[in-house]
Amino acid sequence: MRDITHDEAVGGRRSSWRGEWLRMETLIGYAFVLPLMLWLAGTILYPLIVSVDLSLQNVKIIGSVGSYVGIENYRRAFESPDFREALKNSGIWVLANALVQTILAFAAATILKQRFRGNRIARVWIILSWVVPTVVVVIIWRWLLSASGGVVNYLLVNTGIVDKPVGFFSTGNMAFLSVILINSWRWFPFNAVILLAGLQRIPEELYEAAAVDGATAFAKFRFITLPSLQPVLFVMGLIGTLLSFNVFDVIWLLTGGGPSGATTTLPVLIYETAFKRYRLSQAAAMSVITGVILLLFAAAFIRFLSPEADTEEA
Amino acid sequence: MRSKFVPILVLLLVAAMVLPSLPAQARQDKVEITLWHMEEPTNRVERIQTLIDEFNAAHPEIEVKQEPQNWGEIYTKAPAAIAAGNAPELLFAIPDFTPILKDLGALQPVEDFVAELDAEHPFYPATVEQYTYDDHTWAVPLYNMSQNLWYRKSVLEAAGVEVPTTWDEWLAAAEALTTDAQYGVGLPAAKNLYTDQVMYDLMIGAGASEIYNDDGTLRFNNPETVEAYDMYNQLLQYSPVDSPNWAWGEAEACFANRTCAMVIQFTVITTYDTQAEGDAEDLGVAPIPYKEGVEDPGTIAYANAVMLLTDDPAKKEAAETFISWLLQPENYGRFLNMEPGLFLPVTEDGATADSFWEDPLVVKYQDQVQTMIENSTSGRLFGFTSGNTFPSIASISAQNLLAQTLQLVAIDGQSPADAVAEGQSLMESAIED
Repeated sequence: MRDITHDEAVGGRRSSWRGEWLRMETLIGYAFVLPLMLWLAGTILYPLIVSVDLSLQNVKIIGSVGSYVGIENYRRAFESPDFREALKNSGIWVLANALVQTILAFAAATILKQRFRGNRIARVWIILSWVVPTVVVVIIWRWLLSASGGVVNYLLVNTGIVDKPVGFFSTGNMAFLSVILINSWRWFPFNAVILLAGLQRIPEELYEAAAVDGATAFAKFRFITLPSLQPVLFVMGLIGTLLSFNVFDVIWLLTGGGPSGATTTLPVLIYETAFKRYRLSQAAAMSVITGVILLLFAAAFIRFLSPEADTEEA
Repeated sequence: MRSKFVPILVLLLVAAMVLPSLPAQARQDKVEITLWHMEEPTNRVERIQTLIDEFNAAHPEIEVKQEPQNWGEIYTKAPAAIAAGNAPELLFAIPDFTPILKDLGALQPVEDFVAELDAEHPFYPATVEQYTYDDHTWAVPLYNMSQNLWYRKSVLEAAGVEVPTTWDEWLAAAEALTTDAQYGVGLPAAKNLYTDQVMYDLMIGAGASEIYNDDGTLRFNNPETVEAYDMYNQLLQYSPVDSPNWAWGEAEACFANRTCAMVIQFTVITTYDTQAEGDAEDLGVAPIPYKEGVEDPGTIAYANAVMLLTDDPAKKEAAETFISWLLQPENYGRFLNMEPGLFLPVTEDGATADSFWEDPLVVKYQDQVQTMIENSTSGRLFGFTSGNTFPSIASISAQNLLAQTLQLVAIDGQSPADAVAEGQSLMESAIED
């Protein structure tokens, strides 16, 4: 049997020591992460489990006792015309908000990127609508759009644009459009700030070179701005869609999902089912379905639109 | 020198050990009662706090505290609090809220207590009836509210219009009062409680106040109800175009700024006095118009009450002491006038209490308040009529199905007959087990 050499002995001790250190580091890392993981488990995982469990029962009112009914609530949800209508409304809501907010945000970001006197003030000013509490936003817009004393109708009538007040919440289509525009007004500054940050990271040299080559403004936008902003747009698209889908407060406070259900999106329907119709378990089933839909959307979005996927293809 | 500080030090140590426990011990000797109510406006909260402070001072062994809530959330918050074991001892209620908590096993029956109170402060029977079913009484009536037709006398006179009492007169008046700058009548059409209330007023006026048969099945779908919805839809053409998004505040504002010639509201006195001209001589109030030939017209009325949620003997006794104190005439009137001209008495001696009639605003609008009280004597509430109480009404009310049915007509363009039929179906679904 050969005796180990000195180097081998030292190396062994070093390897042993390094392994022990790595294990300790790992444990320390887990120790630091543990509080957050526990917090997330308590605030997300546990409610999710409870929600799924609740969705399999027939509980009506919070605090009352139910019994297990299997997937009955899911069957009811898929068969429910209200659920299908709300799902459709949510789809329209998300697309419309995305379109309006993106246009407004791009316009605002492009303007704010320019150098002009008061630029800094404008950049601060633009986010005011985003920081104003939702309740205040609702009160402001309800007052502005009122048909009996509202400023907007006062101006429309007195300038002769219309001959009588417009009912911005009087019909389903008008109400939905009004809520979309109000919500977009509230959230586009957030998107504008993100886009502005992205625009500022695009080297000016690219535009200068393109200008030398005779590129039009549209060509610059298409071939320089958009590709450069792809990572930003990806994040905005993913997070913005998820956030937009889950908007409840603006809709509920403005229209309560009306008139006649025209602005009832899935979050509004879930709330109404749980706390107005006293069908808590049915609402839980709807919320689980909604969660699955959003997960599928997120997975598909990441899979097919991720910038990394484009890089891999290149 | 050192010996001088030793006694002081000992004294301080003893004080440090004893004194902190005194407040805690004193608090432990007090019975604490938490009151949840939904009277959020600042003036109401302040008045309630004033009364609580007086009660607490007069009853050092009891400490009542208030926690204002709001109607938008209480239907969910209360059951959740009960489930979590955090329910208050006292909770204000309206009749269709009580069955929900009763079904959770959260309420203490109070018929014996109500009988005791009634012996000293006779209740108007209708206010107790709204809370009496399943062989028990589930809340103590505190204050009444009923809808009225409000108008400006000068506006009607200028248009040559008489105060309407029948539907035909009402339609004619609304049309005559509608100009480029004014709507004849302001009516809500949103899916909310306010629309429920006004819709039910028209149902009463059509002779359709009963939505249940005696056996508890629904009879919402009937010709009289259809007539009520048809009438409401006709009136809406003289109401602001954004009525489908109205709550109480919009109607009050419309009346205050003279855009609406007539509105149906519990009261407009406060806003009229503070945000409009405040001319008491010009403010008119009338019963809700009804279809000619209806023998028993009236208006919707809510007997607001307080529910007892604790079964702890000491807390229960303390809570009852507070309620008894509140109903004493010298206190009761001031309680009602947390919103002068809105909350009406539910007891006979309350209706004559000096503390009620001495409020400056009540003095100023005495005639209007008197008319309101008279109108309230013909008050009724759907699901709680003709001596019957149907607790399942809670589900119908919570979903605002009267209002939803109206939207089928006013928004979706359905015929009143089809809409009412669908409304019946929606109600049947709502109350199914």
